[in-house]
Amino acid sequence: MLRIENLGVRFGQKELFSDMNLHVGRGEVVCLTGPSGCGKTTLLKAVMGFVSPFQGTVVVDGIQLTPQMVHIIRHRIAWMPQGLSLPCEWVREMVRLPFDLRVNRGTSFSEEKLQEYFCTLGLDTSLLDKRLHEVSGGQRQRILLAITAMQEKPLVVIDEPTSALDQASTQKALQFVQRLATEGRGRAILSVSHDPRFMEGCDKVIDFTNHKS
Amino acid sequence: MGTTIDISYWGLGIGMLLLLIPLYFFHRFKTGLVKATIVGAIRMVVQLFLIGIYLKYLFLWDNPWINFLWVFIMVFVATETALSRTRLKRNILMIPIVVGFLASAILVGLYFLGVVLQLDNIFGAQYMIPIFGILMGNMLSSNVVALNTFYTNLMREQQLYYYLLGNGATRHEATAPFVREAIIKAFSPAIANMAVMGLVALPGTMIGQILGGSSPNVAIKYQMMIIVITVTASILSLMITLWMAARKTFDSYGCIRQVFKE
Repeated sequence: MLRIENLGVRFGQKELFSDMNLHVGRGEVVCLTGPSGCGKTTLLKAVMGFVSPFQGTVVVDGIQLTPQMVHIIRHRIAWMPQGLSLPCEWVREMVRLPFDLRVNRGTSFSEEKLQEYFCTLGLDTSLLDKRLHEVSGGQRQRILLAITAMQEKPLVVIDEPTSALDQASTQKALQFVQRLATEGRGRAILSVSHDPRFMEGCDKVIDFTNHKS
Repeated sequence: MGTTIDISYWGLGIGMLLLLIPLYFFHRFKTGLVKATIVGAIRMVVQLFLIGIYLKYLFLWDNPWINFLWVFIMVFVATETALSRTRLKRNILMIPIVVGFLASAILVGLYFLGVVLQLDNIFGAQYMIPIFGILMGNMLSSNVVALNTFYTNLMREQQLYYYLLGNGATRHEATAPFVREAIIKAFSPAIANMAVMGLVALPGTMIGQILGGSSPNVAIKYQMMIIVITVTASILSLMITLWMAARKTFDSYGCIRQVFKE
């Protein structure tokens, strides 16, 4: 589903990483780890075309990332950024955001499915009717994970999904991600995490320290 | 209706003395507005006298080419003012603003003069200059508010933009919340004003027409049309500007470029 070949990204004169190769297939959960600032999140952004690499290629579902194809590639991705703070007043409003997009109009928004995901992640469905500032960081993280799953995209890109979660919630989130990867036709999951409890459950862990120039 | 009574220069001078009252209170409460008020009043007098002189010649010559040249000058002055009030990079917004102002003023202005008023000579100075002038003034003020709101929010709430884009939104969809906010902020005062027009205050065009000798019946019809054409031209020019500026605001992957001056 995702193939990265010889990818290299610079910020100004500084080379973040180079010659990066990675393959994530359907049913696989891959985790990038390494010290802060080594380029893990940048790699996720490069997959979505938010960062231009100086070398290498990104191929999603057989389509190479170019300015002409970036939109088609983004159609195949569900993205959960790190520490996302959206200017929404209500949780329900935040949940609905991606489903108002044309690309997701074919994906029917099911309240039952959302409630099921909430339960799996240990969330109370009454959260939906709360104001966004009333929910904790950990709850927000799990809500975003549920929204990402609801989009039913073949490639799921998640940045630090468990950074604000306790042991029990991390376990639930990990099981949820594993289930996402394998159920139905399967999805490819590319994640970034510093959390050893999360990494343990991933199929592949790539330490970015080795890719630093 | 009678003709307008002229204000003598002596009368104008006596009238200007009224400014001493606000100046006194500005001084007494240490507002720091005294100098700005005096400079502003002097500039107003000089600028309006100059406008009086060139408008006199514009009406005297009444030449369509000169009138159009004047419209172009208004567009460029308005563009410069918009650029200076928004802190946005000239190379990103100059051409979009010029095209937005010019296209909207010509489309809406000539529609009003040709279709609504059905003038024989739609390029005549008596109607063309004031109508284009009022359109430019309104487009300028609403565009400055809207462009500032759009770009400031876009830079501040980049997370929302990239979140939507990363989840498959088109650039148009990802910028829609920011366009919506910009429109609300720029047009809410005009819409609120429309709703209380004639109740809370008598609008400028209407007063001008009544003082100029028109019947209130004619004045209200002009006032209605002025509101409609200014709101229409303002939104049109904003949409054209944003659409044209998008090419330089975002790169080929839809990422936001630096739009504000360093």
